[in-house]
Amino acid sequence: MVIYSFYIFDRHTECIYSKLWLPPSAAAAAAPATPATANIVTGDGAGSVTLAPRGGPHNTDRRSVKVKASDDAKLIFGTVFSLRNMVRKLGGDDDAFISYRTGQYKLHYYETASSLRFVMLTDTTTLSMRSVLHQIYINLWVEYVVKNPLAPVEHKGGDGVKNELFELGLDQFVRGLM
Amino acid sequence: MMSASKASRLGEEIWKTRIDKVNSELVVLTYGTIVAQLCKDFDSDYVEVNKQLDKMGYNIGLRLIEDYLAKSNTMRRCANFRETAEMIAKVGFKIFLNITPTITNWTSDSKQFSLVFDENPLADFVELPDDGRAQDELWFSNILCGVLRGALEMVQMQVEAHFISDVLRGNDTTEMRISLIRYIDDELPPEDD
Repeated sequence: MVIYSFYIFDRHTECIYSKLWLPPSAAAAAAPATPATANIVTGDGAGSVTLAPRGGPHNTDRRSVKVKASDDAKLIFGTVFSLRNMVRKLGGDDDAFISYRTGQYKLHYYETASSLRFVMLTDTTTLSMRSVLHQIYINLWVEYVVKNPLAPVEHKGGDGVKNELFELGLDQFVRGLM
Repeated sequence: MMSASKASRLGEEIWKTRIDKVNSELVVLTYGTIVAQLCKDFDSDYVEVNKQLDKMGYNIGLRLIEDYLAKSNTMRRCANFRETAEMIAKVGFKIFLNITPTITNWTSDSKQFSLVFDENPLADFVELPDDGRAQDELWFSNILCGVLRGALEMVQMQVEAHFISDVLRGNDTTEMRISLIRYIDDELPPEDD
């Protein structure tokens, strides 16, 4: 089993946590394919930039990786949100979207009643990770993020999620599975 | 849909196996101290104290719901508000306070009900201040209203909750009224330009 990446989205549809277990270039191949030279409007309003090819000037490369990562997160959210809505429309409100598979990767999805969405990308042969995502929610998220009295309730920009206990716990848990 | 007896069994089971217990006197004394301090801070403005308690409860509820969902292993939403009421009374109150308030007085549209508290661990040993106003103005356990409001908001239900009677005031029962205002829609991702 290979786990490529993991994302958490909050009820405001924001990506509040993401983690890759492969170097970005390798994970990028596994992530939903975006054209390597997509036009992206940067946050500072500088207009559109063309993503530098890998191996370009070091800081540009890092920046583009960052832009690409947030772009991937948005794409992933858009995808799982649409799929989940479609699943409910076809299968009734109690139906749940669990996973989809492409030639390159498998995407696993788990949504809590409080509208937190957990997404994990793995290789194609991995069995259902729904219970793993559920475990991450009850054993790591609730214990280390929600019950941390100093962490905010809303995690705008990932605030309060990136604490040591949660990150260590997650990394250990996921590495234990691989 | 989960039946009432199944909800009771679930609450019982979680309470027995998955809950760390604390001394109930610690809870009573801690909560009592908070209320007493608020009364002091707001110069016995009990309307304001009720408001503050509700607000504190709301902030607790926003977090407590996650612990509730984790402990109860809830994987799906309640089918309707009546099921929600069952889960609140028989699972929520059971696992966090070890009490099971009675659900009663439904309106015919199934949007409003009462919880009647035969026991209230927050109010053991409590006597309201004898100043002629507290008996009419202070809702001692008002924090619970806020907890429900906050917790239900996180699972997409906007509710209004308030006490309508309290044995501490000399009423026969302690009764909280809960009304569903609306179900909150999913937030949509921002449109791409």
